[in-house]
Amino acid sequence: MIPAIGLLVGLLVGLLLDPAVPLWLQPYLPIAIIAALDAVFGAVRAVLDGIFNDKVFVVSFLSNVVVAALIVFLGDQLGVGTQLSTGVVVVLGVRIFSNVASIRRHLFRA
Amino acid sequence: MSLITSMIRRPLDPGYAEAAKRRRRAGLPQATPTRTVLVVVMALLIGFMFAVSAKALRPKPSVAAQARAELIERIETLQSGAAQSEAQIRALTKEVRGYEEMALAQSGAPDLTTQIEQYALQAGLTPLAGPGLTLTLDDATSAGTDAQAGTRPSGGFDSGRVAAGDLQIVVNGLWGAGAEAISINGQRLTSTAAIRFAGQAVIVDFRPLSRPYVITALGDPEQMQRVFGPSFAGVYLDQLTRQYGIRAAFAASKALTVPGDSSMHVEFAKPIPSDVPSARPPTTGSGS
Repeated sequence: MIPAIGLLVGLLVGLLLDPAVPLWLQPYLPIAIIAALDAVFGAVRAVLDGIFNDKVFVVSFLSNVVVAALIVFLGDQLGVGTQLSTGVVVVLGVRIFSNVASIRRHLFRA
Repeated sequence: MSLITSMIRRPLDPGYAEAAKRRRRAGLPQATPTRTVLVVVMALLIGFMFAVSAKALRPKPSVAAQARAELIERIETLQSGAAQSEAQIRALTKEVRGYEEMALAQSGAPDLTTQIEQYALQAGLTPLAGPGLTLTLDDATSAGTDAQAGTRPSGGFDSGRVAAGDLQIVVNGLWGAGAEAISINGQRLTSTAAIRFAGQAVIVDFRPLSRPYVITALGDPEQMQRVFGPSFAGVYLDQLTRQYGIRAAFAASKALTVPGDSSMHVEFAKPIPSDVPSARPPTTGSGS
């Protein structure tokens, strides 16, 4: 419950402050968001599975974001930025979907 | 395939299971509480990130669109200002006329009123009414709205649009067919009114017009149509409609009006003194 409230507060703060994102950071934002979503849904599933661990959550989140950013950066340098981004989106998307499916089974038994 | 299998079968980070096993071995409950400071801070951070990204990545109104809106606003302001000034000029002109008449009546000089009226008529200052033709020209239905304008033969010009040159030729044809007074979209063609183009706009007497272009020509409708049809302008117009799809419609009417031109202003030109009295018929001459 408290983490959910924290999420909401973070959302509100971001919306209200509306900080300017530097231009060089903007290409990394979409991939970072998907990586963050993957970490969040993984954490929710772990909570429901009864094996949540805060350190693992933090580390998986940070490594997800950093690796995603690195892939985008590397792809941009190599000229295959969009393809690599697509790859990241596919992998993380599949993971998000199966985690959400697992959460659904936990919550609705269906 | 093992990559895809592991991706689908074990989407959860294996770290969770390992950490849980370690904690079990150490005798602790396998899950840590979700209310630790670390988790709350992370939640805050993630929410913040979502909001910031959503704000930053939403397509913004481009600078060009902003500039465009600003320009439109300025144009509209200036246009309404011009309309106001024009109305003022009209009112003041009326007042001046009144004073003129009063002065003439008081001075007891020979009655110049009819002469003044005749000159105003010739200069195109007086609104006129009478039988005539209206010719409505409009762009072809297929013509884009963002095409570049220019003169007709130039490349890169959307040939389905009415160009200033077309209006010139048609208007000249109408003068030639015996029109006595012509206005386009309510702009009277006087001896100082030019039909030009600037960018995409057709400009008549320094006023930009927009489609459709309604040319009102006073004169004998039947005779004008008879003379205009086979003339160069008539053939040209025919070609425009046939080849480029420009829409043109003639309509004869018994009662048409053309407005007077309020902006007639001669500052530098001086009349040449001459003994010959001006005795022209009260028609406006060729004015385009």
